[in-house]
Amino acid sequence: MSKRNRVRKNRVNSTRLAAFAAPGILLAGLLSGCATPPPQSDTADYQAYEQQDDPAEPTNRVFYAINDKIDHYAFKPIAEGYVDITTQGIRNHVGDFVTNFAEPGRIVYFMFGGKPRDAGTALVRFLVDSTVGIGGIFDPATSLGYPETDTDFGLTLAEWGIPAGPYLYLPVFGPSGARDVFSLPAEYFLTPLEPAPESVGTRIFGYSETALHLVNTRAEFIQPIDQIEATALDPYATFRSLYRQERASQLQLIDQRDTPSTPDWFQPPTAPQK
Amino acid sequence: MHLRRTILGATAALPMLAALPAHAQVAPDAAKAFITQSGQQLVAVVNSNASTAQKADQLRQLVDQIVAVDTVGDYVLGRYLNVATADQHTQFLTEFHQLLSYNITYQIKAYQGITFTVNGATVQGNDTIVDTTITRPGQADADVGWAVDEIGGAPKIVDVIVAGTSLRITTRNDYASVITSNGGQVSALLSAMQNQIDRIKSNQ
Repeated sequence: MSKRNRVRKNRVNSTRLAAFAAPGILLAGLLSGCATPPPQSDTADYQAYEQQDDPAEPTNRVFYAINDKIDHYAFKPIAEGYVDITTQGIRNHVGDFVTNFAEPGRIVYFMFGGKPRDAGTALVRFLVDSTVGIGGIFDPATSLGYPETDTDFGLTLAEWGIPAGPYLYLPVFGPSGARDVFSLPAEYFLTPLEPAPESVGTRIFGYSETALHLVNTRAEFIQPIDQIEATALDPYATFRSLYRQERASQLQLIDQRDTPSTPDWFQPPTAPQK
Repeated sequence: MHLRRTILGATAALPMLAALPAHAQVAPDAAKAFITQSGQQLVAVVNSNASTAQKADQLRQLVDQIVAVDTVGDYVLGRYLNVATADQHTQFLTEFHQLLSYNITYQIKAYQGITFTVNGATVQGNDTIVDTTITRPGQADADVGWAVDEIGGAPKIVDVIVAGTSLRITTRNDYASVITSNGGQVSALLSAMQNQIDRIKSNQ
């Protein structure tokens, strides 16, 4: 192996190691700044504390404040500029493209989660949208009866029976949890770019896709986030609640859509007459 | 252990259940008709040529007619309904009405040009959920569910559900966080709500 290749492989290995180790390091760091639980004799307050399941709240709030500043001075202005130069139609197509790009990852997550029908739907979506939908810019699969069902590695772990665990608010990444934080390294590897040969072109494409994904998603949430920040008494708690509810709802949808059904054309065999 | 907790929880919740006004399920067709009519009224107000102040007044009246504000308020106060004094409860409901009105007013401009389609209705637990699709110019379509209950003999909206998230649960968690951050004091929530009202008033 040439020195150049060895250096590159070492760098890739270090990156992989960092991706795997990151959730553990984050968890340890976040849990070092823990909230003090109220006394159990104070029933209403203690129940609220348990329901929130946010023992790292003081640290989480620090990261929330930092992310809020980053968002205010960087992400939001960029997203507003993006909205000014694009139409809703363009943003929808960008959303379709980004969704299609993540579909192979979903196939794997669904298979590992024991959801073969959802995995089949994701496969059909990827094949149809990548071809008829011109690389995923259009989404004919939804019109054909294969709507998108979002998932990630955190939801796969949930299907294995692993509980959500304490709430975490991550620097840059935002709302997460002790279980969901493991989605980060999985997402890093499960993209169609991972098996592609390393080149400047794929690297530029990868960075561009990530940037477009971030900007397009932030643009979609300009109005709802503004509204929460203007109307919520405690926006941090509101985002925490929304995150938890959304995760529960995603899990419910995955289970709902994986229910076996009989196609209209299928004639059930009649019982043999005795 | 779990059974003991459940029984203790149920016993603790009994006074709250008794405090809630009697409500019954609404048939899906009736709920759909109610949301269709309410939605048409709402769209007519939002898209009218009236001034923002006039629209806000009309919307406040409409909200009082179609939303079970007191029932939602008690749900939002949750377990602290037992902790609050009668005066605090009254003050909470007054402030809750005001905040709801201001929050709706805040969205008037964002909802200009709105149209909506009623898709269907299903019974889920005590509520009948009416699914709608809301379309706004320059925005992605939004699927919104309206939870309808019969309260005081008439159908009323008790919750709004967007992408699997319930507005009343989110608000309850928001308010509970303010109380727990202030040592379980309901008075802290009332002050925070009043500050919010004052802030919105000064910005208008």
